[in-house]
Amino acid sequence: MTSSSASPFPTPILSLDRVSKRFAGHTAVDELSLSIPQGVIYGLLGPNGAGKTTTIRMVMDILRPDGGAVRLFGEPGGGRAHAERIGYLPEERGLYRKMRVLDVLVFLGEMKGIDRRGARQRAGEWLERLGLAQWRLRRVDELSKGMQQKVQFISTVLHDPDLLVLDEPFSGLDPVNTQVMKDTVLDLRRRGKTILFSTHIMEQAERLCEQLCIIALGRKLVDGALSDIKRTHGGHHLVVGFDGSAGAAQQVFADRGLVKKVDDYGQFAELELASGADAQVILQRLVVSGARLSRFELMEPSLNKIFIDLVGPEAARAVMRPEGEAARA
Amino acid sequence: MRKVWAVIRREFVERVRSKWFWVSAALGPIFLATLFFLPLLFAGSGGPERIVVVDGTTTRFGERVADSLAASGTFKVAARVAPRAGLLDSLTRAVIARRLDGFLILTDQTLEAGIAEYRASNAAALQEIAELKGVLGRFAVSTRLQRAGIRPEVVDEVQLRIDLQTKKISGSTTSGQSSAQSFSLAYIMAILLFMAIAAYGVNVMSSVLEEKTTRVVEVLVSSLRPFQLMLGKILGVGAVSIFQFVIWGVSGRLLLTQRAAFGGGMASAESGAEAFELPLVSTGTIAIFLAYFLGGFLFYSAMLATVGAISSSDQEARQAVQPVIFLLMIAYLSIWALSSNPESTYAVTISLIPFTSPIAMPVRWAASIVPASELATSLAMLVLGIVAVTWIAARIYRIGILMTGKRPSVKELARWVRA
Repeated sequence: MTSSSASPFPTPILSLDRVSKRFAGHTAVDELSLSIPQGVIYGLLGPNGAGKTTTIRMVMDILRPDGGAVRLFGEPGGGRAHAERIGYLPEERGLYRKMRVLDVLVFLGEMKGIDRRGARQRAGEWLERLGLAQWRLRRVDELSKGMQQKVQFISTVLHDPDLLVLDEPFSGLDPVNTQVMKDTVLDLRRRGKTILFSTHIMEQAERLCEQLCIIALGRKLVDGALSDIKRTHGGHHLVVGFDGSAGAAQQVFADRGLVKKVDDYGQFAELELASGADAQVILQRLVVSGARLSRFELMEPSLNKIFIDLVGPEAARAVMRPEGEAARA
Repeated sequence: MRKVWAVIRREFVERVRSKWFWVSAALGPIFLATLFFLPLLFAGSGGPERIVVVDGTTTRFGERVADSLAASGTFKVAARVAPRAGLLDSLTRAVIARRLDGFLILTDQTLEAGIAEYRASNAAALQEIAELKGVLGRFAVSTRLQRAGIRPEVVDEVQLRIDLQTKKISGSTTSGQSSAQSFSLAYIMAILLFMAIAAYGVNVMSSVLEEKTTRVVEVLVSSLRPFQLMLGKILGVGAVSIFQFVIWGVSGRLLLTQRAAFGGGMASAESGAEAFELPLVSTGTIAIFLAYFLGGFLFYSAMLATVGAISSSDQEARQAVQPVIFLLMIAYLSIWALSSNPESTYAVTISLIPFTSPIAMPVRWAASIVPASELATSLAMLVLGIVAVTWIAARIYRIGILMTGKRPSVKELARWVRA
């Protein structure tokens, strides 16, 4: 079932081959192809409405593609046939409100093909691990929102899946749970599990993903290893931080001989150097201009920068919108 | 299949654990008991009729009638008085003032010409009139026989009071039901079927809606097919309803066997009991009831599951549920037509159509003899109806459970079914 090590090109855990999905009036996913090898953390990135959730729903067999093929663990077809090997966390969360925590977990475990006794035992261990042991017999609606998130996360990993599909896993999480989620994802990764997650928050993707695919309007813009993407899409980048006064820094930034492009955040700016420009010259000019610098750093471009360059300013605005206000895909 | 089983178990366990279940388990028998005993209480509340016998006879006829009436239990003879001027007026005033229920006027003409008079506040009470007629007739005949020289022993010997029992012929057996029993059985079955199908169908609907609004459905549908999920829900809730019926059945039996204790002390309640008699429920009737309950439940819960799937909130669901419940109500509102004229074209038609047959057929069954061929046709159509409705429902459900926002139009629903 899993990739055979004899093959020079191991079977990907998940592959999409020109998968399309049309809804009345518009194409949500347009001939999307991607391939996820075993054991990586794979990011599916895109602005709201890009087709991330639709793609994930097709992988999970919730929606049927109108065209193209999904392959999981080397077999054609969506996730339902492999439910016991896949953990799925939908974008919009929710649990049976009136059920007891332990009962919910056992039931969802059964849905993933583990028997009641096994589910009960594992649920107990996970509740213990995430500090919810004393809540096991309480009703879900007696728990705080953060605790409910933990319970739902447990339900996703309870059956020890080989592939984890997380749709916007960090949205709506408090900092503590964000940390728990990250730690668990990394732990699963260390144990050879594959993780596919979607997000529109680039900082998280940059920290977690080894491979990624950026989509917009249902189409793939780029995919591959994060380091490769940075190499091919990055120019020379410079981050400048100001300590109070920015002086006449604007004039320096406006010099197209030195700076090709600038993202100015006031106390902080991200510059793309013009070809052949020397960063030291910029440093000198900034000091002369009277700017007080707290940071001056040459670096590869942030994923956020690449993303915005790729999807364009229109989509970028949608991305920058805070959680919850964004239009649902 | 194991997953469907898990869905069934969850529906069953969560519902049986809920307060709602035990409240209705307790209220069911109370409700039924009220249906049974309320008429008895009303009938018994007046007690025996308090009457005065105005005895204008010159023989002992009046005295014997009064004694016999007093012994019947239907009447309480307050006094036997000879006629005098102004007596009838004062008695009439006593009736108006409700100190008296009525008075019986006997004269020698009663024996000679068969003329007597009963004046009462309720002169149409069939039970009392029948009793009066019987007693008067019996004594008139026996007195006249004695006058004709027949020995009193012989007169007593030939007296025979007929207790006419009416029984319903059902198939090859005589059920022992009176027509009053038939009607009350039909009535109770219709109420129970309507309430149970509606209540448990709506349970399926709200369960679907809960999974939809909490989005649990996404995880479920990625683990088992939408049809399996719907099936598991319907079967799970159905199992709860059967369990509920078992509880009602057992407690109902208990109530019936203890009925003597409840009814004791109300000897006169016998008359009321006849007007609304406790039905003798045969095994066949129970089988018909359960078959049509299950059929009706499956038929309607598939529809209501769909209603849940296409709604996004409780409010929307409450609106969308109305047309479905209305369909079920057609049969419920036809109880009278069904039981008083069970062979009419209307009654036969609605007992064949799956939308109405779950209530209409059991009512007809209780009220008359239903030909086996009609029963078979009705059941077959119900089964076909369930298959068709479930098929359509599953197709709408599959898409509906993932939809949010505006409720789909009928045109959209038709497209989903064809898709």
